[in-house]
Amino acid sequence: MRALAALMLATLLAGPAVPASAAPSELVVIVSARSPVTALRPDQVAAIFLGQSVRFPDGAEAIPLDQRLGAPLRDEFYLRVTSKTPPLLKAWWSKMVFTGRGQPPAEAADSAAVRRRVAEHPELVGYIDRNALDASVRPVLVVQ
Amino acid sequence: MQHSFRGHHLTASLLALALGAGIDAHAEDAGDGAPSVAVSGFGTVGVVHSSEAHADYIASALKANGAGATRRWSGDVDTRLGLQLDAALDKRWSAVLQLVSEMNLDGSYRPRVEWANVKYQVTPELALRLGRVALPMFLTAEYRKVGYIYPWVRPPVESYGTLPFTSGDGIDANLRWNLGPVRNTSQIFFGHADQKLVDPMRGYARRVFGLDNTSDWGALSVRASLLGGEATAAIADQLFDALDASGPAGAALTRAYAIDHKQISVASIGANYDPGTWFLMAEASRTRTHSLLGATRSIYASAGWRHGAFTPYLTWSHVRAVGATSNPGLPLAGLPPQLAGQVAALNAGLNGLLATVPRQTSVSAGLRWDLRANTALKLQYDRATPHDGSRGTLTNLTPGFQPGRTIHVASVAIDFVY
Repeated sequence: MRALAALMLATLLAGPAVPASAAPSELVVIVSARSPVTALRPDQVAAIFLGQSVRFPDGAEAIPLDQRLGAPLRDEFYLRVTSKTPPLLKAWWSKMVFTGRGQPPAEAADSAAVRRRVAEHPELVGYIDRNALDASVRPVLVVQ
Repeated sequence: MQHSFRGHHLTASLLALALGAGIDAHAEDAGDGAPSVAVSGFGTVGVVHSSEAHADYIASALKANGAGATRRWSGDVDTRLGLQLDAALDKRWSAVLQLVSEMNLDGSYRPRVEWANVKYQVTPELALRLGRVALPMFLTAEYRKVGYIYPWVRPPVESYGTLPFTSGDGIDANLRWNLGPVRNTSQIFFGHADQKLVDPMRGYARRVFGLDNTSDWGALSVRASLLGGEATAAIADQLFDALDASGPAGAALTRAYAIDHKQISVASIGANYDPGTWFLMAEASRTRTHSLLGATRSIYASAGWRHGAFTPYLTWSHVRAVGATSNPGLPLAGLPPQLAGQVAALNAGLNGLLATVPRQTSVSAGLRWDLRANTALKLQYDRATPHDGSRGTLTNLTPGFQPGRTIHVASVAIDFVY
């Protein structure tokens, strides 16, 4: 009984943290609360994260910040915003690196780490789980 | 020799720069704009089988041999290893060194410096590079050696297999600009290109200029490029010396066909539509050389569908010669028999060279299997037919070779990046 209760409790606790199998998680693209940027279109976000665009629409410099390689949130973000699976994304960045056109974005460990760094640097753009939002950052796109 | 010495010197300087930056990277906090060094690389391990026993199937004109006549199964057609060092000193200055080891014309796998350049980012949109850079041409020419990036085992040989130059030494400028929703990258290059043939021969091109523009609009990418230069290559020097010695008619043939300060140009336009679950690519190009290399037009189209880790694809590819690829040569009438024999041999030698202007059509079917996020296994079958007396893109012909016979080529390759 106790083992069963523990299992149920663990399932309940784990529930929200494993969004892939339950309801789809809501991903939000964020900038610092100090940034003047209020909204971005999916194609603008895609261009920044694929190294095709280096500025926000208002002309300020934009630097993307990734979740760590292999994070489910990261794979979901790229699939929804750029239609690229992990191998296609790898091929894309191989093309950029091996033609001398750029290096992939820097990475942060998780949503909290992305939020912290984005909050501190107005030029950064990140994407996090909506549950990790707080007042230090501003959501500029809800990824559908 | 002088050139390769300069190359080594540049390599050493860049290595020192990279190592210096590496030490700095440890001394400072890693953050935005701090010095950093990135080591990356790519490679392909492939074997190719060709049904044609009287010629070698090759993917580049710069290989000593391939599959077919030399060996039925060859590991040399696609196998290569590349290493790249990217050193960023700050937000503006960076340097890159790329070494590639693959089969050379002398049969060795001695690594070559493919790129060695220093980049200065003037603005986030404008970058200047000085040193050895990839020559701007074709959709996939700059990364043709990185098999992992494209779906096929190799880019279509009818378009990509015959160009001897892949990188050049000089200066280039890259500019990114937007036109509404269209994101553009424009590039301009000026410099020269050197290519070692078989020691001590080399080909070189002076006053090389390149222009290209890539426009990305959603899933569509369109690239147009133009490359030109003045080329000289010591190919068939003895033949042309003999023609020169034979009189004004022979000298005129030398002027027409020797690769001696000849203006060459390569123009191409290509499009790639890739919404993720499938892709469609097509590209057309035109090459002019005013020499024995002839003038050609090539075109290919390729489509593939992505089902999970599998990407089956089909490609059709064609190259044809523009203008004559044979020459009546020097007249034999009225010559004494012994001299007529020598002149006939010269004529045959000249026409043998002209037959190397490729005319060929290929149909290919293949499957890419993404094993992991940095490794892909590819299987490809090519059905290639050289036309009109040409040897197509084949090399090392033996006397039994018959033009016009379809050859069947099977390839297996593993591509990786790291």
